[in-house]
Amino acid sequence: MTHDDILTGALLDDVCLTVDELAQACATEPRWIIERVEAGYLCGEPSQPPTQWRFASAELLRARRLVVTERDFDANPELAALVVDLIEEVHQLRHRLHAAGA
Amino acid sequence: MEFKDYYRTLGIDKTASADDIKKAYRKLARKYHPDVSKEPDAEARMQEVNEANAVLSDPEKRALYDQVGSGQQAGQPFRPPPDWDAGFEFPGGGADSGDFFENLFGRGRSGRAGQFRMRGEDRHARIRIDLRDAYDGASRTISLRRPQADGQGRVVLQEHTLNVRIPKGVKEGQQIRLGGQGDPGIGGGPAGDLYLEIRFTPDPRYRIDGRDVYETVPVTPWEAALGGPIDTPTPSGPVTLQVPAGSQAGRKLRLKGRGIPGDPPGDLYVVLEVVLPPADSDSARRLYETMAREMAFDPRRTTGA
Repeated sequence: MTHDDILTGALLDDVCLTVDELAQACATEPRWIIERVEAGYLCGEPSQPPTQWRFASAELLRARRLVVTERDFDANPELAALVVDLIEEVHQLRHRLHAAGA
Repeated sequence: MEFKDYYRTLGIDKTASADDIKKAYRKLARKYHPDVSKEPDAEARMQEVNEANAVLSDPEKRALYDQVGSGQQAGQPFRPPPDWDAGFEFPGGGADSGDFFENLFGRGRSGRAGQFRMRGEDRHARIRIDLRDAYDGASRTISLRRPQADGQGRVVLQEHTLNVRIPKGVKEGQQIRLGGQGDPGIGGGPAGDLYLEIRFTPDPRYRIDGRDVYETVPVTPWEAALGGPIDTPTPSGPVTLQVPAGSQAGRKLRLKGRGIPGDPPGDLYVVLEVVLPPADSDSARRLYETMAREMAFDPRRTTGA
């Protein structure tokens, strides 16, 4: 590939990640992902088996935040999920504050 | 290459215990947390802190760093002493020990290459685009540093420039996955992928919610009261918009389908802001006085004042 080629990537949400791909993207193990999903830390509880699960942009970002929080602070998964919930809420509120013209 | 003082980055001394390092790292990880920190350069500082921690928290890397770094000053040009790596078996695939360390020590040795195959790690980066780029699509050039094998079989970090197409209709927070553009594999394994997270460059004219876009447009009191056409810029080009008679400040006019393109496309909301002309001349003052006299209007009538 030359540097002048323009790369066209896949837009997540059009294409979604499997458990293995999400684990790879977060430098973690598939088992880690499955445990966080089953505990409800990563997304809503799925009705299908893990091989059918698909993840989009929002879950990728959330999973990476969970990984980093658990790793950097030796946080247990419940605490990491709580921290990430708060981070997400802060982002939403900042966004609304900006939208309100503040 | 400049010498980086990892101890100084973490604010600890050279005799720090593993526990001191962990404590110092956590303190800084909190201070420069990219989602929470109010420090202006939080993201860059966090990268340096991560780099220092990745080396100092690993006893083997720390020993190597200490041996090479003795007598060096931060920021000074740095030449490794001869035989600096004698006696060390350095494991490959160190997760995120940073640029300086990896430039110096590489990421594993050629001798290991035949022993196992490993897929390269996925990489992540953020990319800022203008709202306009989400309407039209665009291409962006980004520079990343990534490890590559040099002539001696050692892996060094090299600047890697990519031209990336930003698809039309992309939303804030969406990720673009570029297959095979992450770290190269080890022992002939496939390369990892590169994920780019889309962020919009802040633009004071527009506020964005998913695919909907909000824009505040100033109007005169008579345009708001009497209605009429006004010209206004929008992300997809200027439009002429009909202001309905009797509009108040804050009224939202929806321009269907003029938000970020997609299926379905977002809408553009024009929010009217009524701006009063200043009463800074005799004639302007007289006009306000005439209104005060002739219009029976008390906006506080229903507030109980």
